[in-house]
Amino acid sequence: MKRRRALGALLLVTTIVVLLVAPHFAGSAGQSLMAKMLTAAVFACGYNLLMGQAGLLAFGHATFYGLGAIMTLHAMSAVEHGTVDLATPLLPLVGLFVGFVSAAVIGLFATKRSGAYFALVTFAIAELVHVIAPMWQSLFGGESGITSTRSSWLSLTFASDLEVYYLVLGWSGVSIGALWLLTRTAFGRLTLAVRENENRLQFLGYNAYLLKVLIFAISGGVAGLAGSLFAMTNEAANYTLFSPEISAQVIFNVFIGGSTTFLGPIVAAALLTAFPYWLSDITRSWPLYQGLIFMGIMLYMPDGIGGWIRQKSRKMAAAWRSKAEVRSIAAEKGASVGLTNS
Amino acid sequence: MEYVVISVLNGLAYGMLLFMLSAGLTIVFGMMGILNFAHTSFYMMGAFVGYSATKAGHFWLGLLLAPVVVGGIGVLVERLLLKRLHAFGHGQELVFTFGLAIVAEELIKSIFGDFPVPYDIPQQLKFAAFSFHNTQFPFYRVLMTGVAAACFLGILLILIYTRIGIVVRAAERQPMMTEALGHNVGAIFGAVFGVGVALAALAGAIAGAYYPTSARMALDVGSIVFVVVVVGGLGSLAGSFVASLLLGLLTSFAIGLDWNLAQLADLVGLGAQARAAGGMLTLPLSQFAGAIPFLLMLLVLVFWPNGLLGDKQ
Repeated sequence: MKRRRALGALLLVTTIVVLLVAPHFAGSAGQSLMAKMLTAAVFACGYNLLMGQAGLLAFGHATFYGLGAIMTLHAMSAVEHGTVDLATPLLPLVGLFVGFVSAAVIGLFATKRSGAYFALVTFAIAELVHVIAPMWQSLFGGESGITSTRSSWLSLTFASDLEVYYLVLGWSGVSIGALWLLTRTAFGRLTLAVRENENRLQFLGYNAYLLKVLIFAISGGVAGLAGSLFAMTNEAANYTLFSPEISAQVIFNVFIGGSTTFLGPIVAAALLTAFPYWLSDITRSWPLYQGLIFMGIMLYMPDGIGGWIRQKSRKMAAAWRSKAEVRSIAAEKGASVGLTNS
Repeated sequence: MEYVVISVLNGLAYGMLLFMLSAGLTIVFGMMGILNFAHTSFYMMGAFVGYSATKAGHFWLGLLLAPVVVGGIGVLVERLLLKRLHAFGHGQELVFTFGLAIVAEELIKSIFGDFPVPYDIPQQLKFAAFSFHNTQFPFYRVLMTGVAAACFLGILLILIYTRIGIVVRAAERQPMMTEALGHNVGAIFGAVFGVGVALAALAGAIAGAYYPTSARMALDVGSIVFVVVVVGGLGSLAGSFVASLLLGLLTSFAIGLDWNLAQLADLVGLGAQARAAGGMLTLPLSQFAGAIPFLLMLLVLVFWPNGLLGDKQ
């Protein structure tokens, strides 16, 4: 146990150092790719609170992601024109808020259904928003979407990709850290209980319905925050952010990484975001390979890569332990045999 | 009057096409509980089989080959892959079938290219079946409607009156019991999946000639089939038939109407204010045609989760 803790701490510190130092050597394109990877990681981590921990399969998180992005851009414009006084680094709070509120409202009736029906309700709402968005000129900017420019704050101009990257990194660290801490609280335990046995939770006197709405809202809030981070890096967004592909992508990330683990979806989201950038230079039909990999992983590692690694490592640890036991028993026996002989 | 009649006819033709597309999906969900996101990929493949046959000069052969070839692929996919996934859960099925849809699209793209292919109906079929006032109604739409109606009746009669139909229905209701009576439930599931896929492929071969045929066509109808299945009631064949016609008619009427919300506001004397507000309130209904199905789906899910004709959950 102690060794595992030390290993975990070492990995965490290494990751943080790499994330802090690497962009200096990455160039502008690399920096914006890293920011995208972090954004996807935050999105996946927030979605996994709902999917992995609470066991609720939603198929419409693009709604909250897109709303977060669009509203952040509106707020960014307002800051630019001086109508609202908000520090630029705090703009993602807008996405968090919008995502949380819209998810709370949708969650009020989506969570009344369960299983495939829950997924279909969220899907219907997401598709509705996706169809309406390009027609709603004033809010979503029609088909072309809306653009804005980051205003400077104190001595930070947010003109370079590096500054934006650090902003995204900061928010990613805070939100993923907060989601991890959440799993350690009583609320985190209750989230698992929703997945494992909702009826028993009710018997114990908890309001499972409100709990599910709250989990849905938090997950939507984080999706909105991720949308915000996208808007911060991109300075533009349009209705395609609401498309089912976005909702599907986050589900892929979570299931490939392993919805039963905390870290799996985060790592998978980051890597799968970079995947097209690496492969599109080599082959034009990279989605083919991506699709094949998805199918293979679901067939042979239904708990995702993270789940598979955990299972293997547990098996290895168990084997190691039982070997050690055999050895100690053998040693004892040997000692006792020695005693009788003398 | 003319508008109403033509809209009804167009709505029926589109609705029947929707039914052929979604029939397989609803049966498969009813039997196996699989939400198959790759279902419309089989529709797309059917269109490309039809195109290939037509290019070789055999349009009718294409209509025959599409369901056979693609249905065969469907049986293989179910028996070799989907069957194993079933134990895991909805999420895994969703990711897997989505992956399958991506693979299908990319494979078709690598063979036929990224752009729509010139798949057209044969010259001798391009005539008007009848004309109503000044609008001519193409014969091909009548053919589409007829084929779909024949499929619906055929499946319904087989399910109700034949021994095969009884075994299939038994396998849906009580798979364990049916197995205990000596029927190979796995093979039945595979066959039913294959028939559903074959229907979608036939729809693709027929519709592909009328609408644009490209690798993206699976995605274009990917969402609407779920609306049909949900509105009709998951697992209900008759329900999805009714829902298909309903959706076809709704869409067909909405496209031609320029009503807007401001006119609705007129009824209570707020029309002027609504027009001044502009935005969403003055958009014509025809623009919203795409939103209607999803609104309907949402209403059904919230108020009648079993759908129009579905069984109790």
